[in-house]
Amino acid sequence: MPRLNSTRQLRHLRNMLQSDRDRRSLHLTICAGTACRASGSAILLQAVQGYLLQHGLVDRIALHATGCHGFCEMGPFLLVEPQQTFYAQVRTEHVAEIIEAALAGEFVEHLLYRDPHTGRICYHRDEIPFFKHQQRTILGMSQQIDPSRIHDYIQHGGYAGLEQALDRGGDQRRAARDPQFGGNGSSQSADSAGRLPYPEGPYAGSAWVVDQVTQSGLRGRGGGGFPTGRKWEMLARQPGPRGKLLVCNADEGDPGAYMDRSILEGNPHCILEGMLLGAYATGATEGIVYVRSEYPLAIQHLNIALHQARELGLLGKNLLGTDFSFDIQLVRGAGAFVCCEETALIHSVEGRMGEPRQRPPFPIQKGIDGKPTVINNVETWANIPVILQQGAEAFAAIGTPDNSGTKIFSLVGKIKNTGLVEVPMGITIGQIVHDIGGGPVGKAKIKAVQTGGPSGGCIPADQFALPIDYETLAQAGSIMGSGGMIVMDETTCMVDVAKYFMNFLREESCGKCFTCRKGTQRMYEILDEITQGRGTPEHLTLLEELALVVRDTTMCGLGQTAANPVLSTLRHFRDEYQRHVVDKRCDAYVCGDLVGAACQSACPLETEAWRYVALVEKGRYDEAYCVIRQANPLPSICARVCDRPCEQHCQLGTTGAQSVGIRAIKRFVTDRVAPEVWQDERARGAAARGREGPAASRPVAIVGAGPAGLSAAHELTQLGYPVTLFDTEAEPGGMLLSCIPAYRLPRDVLRREIATVLQDGVTLRCGAQLGRDMTLDGLFADGFGAVFLGIGAAKSWQLDLAGEELSGVYSSMEFLKAFNLRGEEWAGGAVGIIGGGNSAIDAARVALRQRQVQGVRLLYRRTTRDMPAFAEEVEAALEEGIELETLVSPVKIRYIEAALREGVQVETMVSPVRIHARDGRLVGIECVRNRLGQMDASGRRRPVPIAGSEFTLPLNTLIVAIGERPDSQPLAEMGLEIDRSGRLVVDPRTLAASRPGVFGGGDLVTGPNTVIDALAAGRRAARSIDRYLRGLPLEQPAEIRLPRVFVEPASGETEADGEQPRIEPATIPAPSRQKNFVEVELALSAEQARAEARRCLRCDLRFTRPAQEGAPCHAGKSGSA
Amino acid sequence: MSRWKEWIGMINLAINGFAVTVEDGSTLLEAAQFLGFPIPTLCHLEGLSPYGACRLCVVQIGQGDRARLVSSCTYPAQEGLRVWTASNRVLRARRMVLELLLGSCPQSKTIQDLASAHGVRQQRFRQEQEDCILCGRCVRMCREQMVAGAIAFRGRGATRSIGTPFDRNSEQCRLCGGCLYVCPACELRCTYTDAPERAVCGGCANLAPPCAEQEGFDHMMCYMNPCVACEIPTPEPQPGVPS
Repeated sequence: MPRLNSTRQLRHLRNMLQSDRDRRSLHLTICAGTACRASGSAILLQAVQGYLLQHGLVDRIALHATGCHGFCEMGPFLLVEPQQTFYAQVRTEHVAEIIEAALAGEFVEHLLYRDPHTGRICYHRDEIPFFKHQQRTILGMSQQIDPSRIHDYIQHGGYAGLEQALDRGGDQRRAARDPQFGGNGSSQSADSAGRLPYPEGPYAGSAWVVDQVTQSGLRGRGGGGFPTGRKWEMLARQPGPRGKLLVCNADEGDPGAYMDRSILEGNPHCILEGMLLGAYATGATEGIVYVRSEYPLAIQHLNIALHQARELGLLGKNLLGTDFSFDIQLVRGAGAFVCCEETALIHSVEGRMGEPRQRPPFPIQKGIDGKPTVINNVETWANIPVILQQGAEAFAAIGTPDNSGTKIFSLVGKIKNTGLVEVPMGITIGQIVHDIGGGPVGKAKIKAVQTGGPSGGCIPADQFALPIDYETLAQAGSIMGSGGMIVMDETTCMVDVAKYFMNFLREESCGKCFTCRKGTQRMYEILDEITQGRGTPEHLTLLEELALVVRDTTMCGLGQTAANPVLSTLRHFRDEYQRHVVDKRCDAYVCGDLVGAACQSACPLETEAWRYVALVEKGRYDEAYCVIRQANPLPSICARVCDRPCEQHCQLGTTGAQSVGIRAIKRFVTDRVAPEVWQDERARGAAARGREGPAASRPVAIVGAGPAGLSAAHELTQLGYPVTLFDTEAEPGGMLLSCIPAYRLPRDVLRREIATVLQDGVTLRCGAQLGRDMTLDGLFADGFGAVFLGIGAAKSWQLDLAGEELSGVYSSMEFLKAFNLRGEEWAGGAVGIIGGGNSAIDAARVALRQRQVQGVRLLYRRTTRDMPAFAEEVEAALEEGIELETLVSPVKIRYIEAALREGVQVETMVSPVRIHARDGRLVGIECVRNRLGQMDASGRRRPVPIAGSEFTLPLNTLIVAIGERPDSQPLAEMGLEIDRSGRLVVDPRTLAASRPGVFGGGDLVTGPNTVIDALAAGRRAARSIDRYLRGLPLEQPAEIRLPRVFVEPASGETEADGEQPRIEPATIPAPSRQKNFVEVELALSAEQARAEARRCLRCDLRFTRPAQEGAPCHAGKSGSA
Repeated sequence: MSRWKEWIGMINLAINGFAVTVEDGSTLLEAAQFLGFPIPTLCHLEGLSPYGACRLCVVQIGQGDRARLVSSCTYPAQEGLRVWTASNRVLRARRMVLELLLGSCPQSKTIQDLASAHGVRQQRFRQEQEDCILCGRCVRMCREQMVAGAIAFRGRGATRSIGTPFDRNSEQCRLCGGCLYVCPACELRCTYTDAPERAVCGGCANLAPPCAEQEGFDHMMCYMNPCVACEIPTPEPQPGVPS
């Protein structure tokens, strides 16, 4: 390479390169960054090269290996230009197909990127949401050039900033010499070489460069956000008789952050140009790039770049023939996290131990070897050429006034599109997470993002509207840091996150400051105690006290921010800490010592699901039944209608496979085993134990014979209390009877199960309504010691439209009750149902079965995905069709799917606006279409009506199913505290209402909820009532529920097999369901049930040992029934 | 008036509201000591270069939102600085530092006396029995006064330690004992637990357990409840103390 001797020669070279551009018609680009190399881009590159050579296409197709494109999730990929066709996750066997299509100007559709939300194919790279919402200034450059070719960089406008600065210096020199140029040449004397003493700054153009950088408003990208221009000005003013230094800090140590690496690998020359400009502006003579040894590719590319720049005369003495000299050397760090702190970095460069020291003196006064030093982050340096090329004003116009320019974030964690994103400052976190990141990867909702690495903090999802800039993030308790952004969803435990970072810092603290070394160690210890279930409220106090002192008393940035993970999680997620410490629960199911077997701790009734699944595997069905029955008084009902929290948290399901079909196994057991097994067993058990009776057996009144009431009655009779059960309707059962249709829950099963609960000495009083037939005072006067309220939530919300009183318009509750209790068929003709919850689906399917009905249409205002009936479903699976979803998660999808198969039409994104009537009878409804707006508090996009999109649907029946609430007016009149949604206010732990002796549970307290939660509430209230009547304190310390009973694992040849697909129970075909109420879902066969049980991972075995075997649920009986 | 001070490099600052003029290059600790304000220190030793490891000497500088704590032994005196040596924030931090020190090194008399003087009566962390608080006095003594440099810090974070390279006997070491002499953690180590007759001060062995005699508690060395240095259990641990 000939050495360039002037800026003119550089300009000439660039012009030549640009005019001599590759004239080949097709360009293939492959990312050769580290992430893509890991996913096979090197092999792909070889394959493409091989193909081009073999087929003699080298003249027609150019191949480029460039720096990182940022979409690391989808690597390796192939970009075809000029069409900008983007093929993601390309394998070598696709190469021929892609090249042939490219030559023909076509696409290979099945390899193109598909938008996971809409399923739409993206033909052009910029159609991909990940790229569409970004502003890729710095990353955009690295994806165009080959990092190992300086000519690529120059061709794309590289070193133009330097050229400009040097030229300007030249101009000023000329101006100084010649008064015509406006200079004051006469007052300064030129030396023999025509050089002048510099007016401001070391070189003629220095002041201009500093000014440009200051004007641009660029702030340090390493995390502190100090204005770069000001820093440079300070260095320029600093006397440096022994020379001054510039350092590029590429010691990027944050877990999960790799933007610096990507820039160094993808475009090393922009760093060199940035540093050259910095040196020109400040008079620095030496530059150092301090890069971690863990970045071998970055080091390799940097070395190549340095070599090429020196050869071309862009580095070294009197570069480009000017009086400006500057050279850069590479220093490799040994990988201590603390060495990204500037004073520790200085020590490390000097060859000493990487330990921070006291500032002041600041590096700018006394840096490496005592010389004034400016240390800037890689990204800061990369921005300098951009500023000079675009101009300071253009740069300052990007972003917000105080935070200009773009910022690169490395977006990782529980998010669909991981990778590097470059966005203008001031964009909201939500935009990055949802628009670019594509939202959550699984079914769980996104809970928080962690920004700024170990020293940063967490920002909860309800603050995602915050703009990203230095000040806002600091106010929210986090920091910008170097730009790591870790997305966390509900399966992330925040205590565990804090513990992870504390463990990292405990090892990476340099150890000089006692409070940092010992403090991080102690915080880790306390967090560890908490995650193991040994935490106390005092631990939280101590943790917070310690964290504040660590922040206050340490010397360097690492120590001062080391407490951030603790402080910010305590600030935003204190309730999660409380759950760990007080309730001994980890709601993310991460802390193993608190969770035990996830299926068991997920069940509100604490059913030992792992245990009965294991027993079914062994064929010990009677024992399995006893395990189920021990926890659950209504096992056959729950085997049909439970929403299966156990399956949602099944470890097999959360690791990517399909969860064990626990409910289907339960259905098998309850169908097969006669309930008497349990009666016999219990009698034997009671005799053996010799249970002591309660001290006072005062009678207890239970109002409401729904699941909560039945469960409370059952538990109380077991404890020996006489119980009287009151209900408004003529038959006990509550929602189970009035709401759940018979095709899901056959009436004989329901009645039989309720009868078993009632046979234990419960007095039943039907047709008695609280407020009308009795009062709380009356009940206490009648001698009842305590009252349990479980009257449910049966009052429907209304649309608030005129005409809701018309005949033909019903609430879902009235409609279902009329049919299920009295057999009245109210629906006829064209039926419309408004709502997207379970009762809407129930109403739709019941209406479809009524004789006069011709068609059923479901109207919902949001997308299918946002239907509450879908709420806990896997979102990712949705895009791929419903079949997959049913496998991963429970009832409701299949449930909606079933409704669809049966002929219910679903119309989403519409809201009703008017009800049309003729002669007092409904004839139709007018609706408006919606589009999706911003995210609301529920994490769903808000529906926004589209003006002018109204349309009318002719209807004969309209069923409003937009939700229910408790009818709690009478309770308020009796002096009980009621909240704004009509729910009874109770202590969440003891379920005691505001009046002594009154307890509440079920839908009355929670609003519409699941059967299993109501059962659990009934049992919990019964236990509280027991303690209340015995005069004991209601509150009890929480216990960790770990598996205790050992059950042999499956034998060798029938090894637990999670890789087998899940066995779904059969359903009767749709045609045979028409106009009847035969149960739709069938039970598993014995072989199927045992095969399904074999899939269980047996999480319980971690906690049990054969020696610990306690008394089994019932003595000695084994073998199948 | 102060031109001559500037000229010979003098600096004006205020400590706890008292104006003081010190030489350029002095530390805040020296300035405070000049005025007679007591600041506890552990890693600081006259004659050794300041290091700032123990964080016991923190003082508050700045005002309002910008107020922060710095280690007075390393922070240089600056013109116009306002320093507070015993604000609530400073005292709270010092107490926590002492509690952490007690959690690691309960047997050091120096640490016990400091804790006692600051009214630290309990230690809520899991008790450790370490010999070293890594204050680095010995390292600096060896390097700066003995000009030997036989020992130094090794490792980082939780695994940091002091010793010779690769734990080999050092040819630089002259067995002068300077390192032991300056050690605040082991200078009067209470060895009662292994051998009472070898106890340096004999405090625990000679006196009745101090928890039995509450008066004069402050002046004894085993003042903690529960007593962790001598491991004499007190009848009832205080409620609310995590194990």
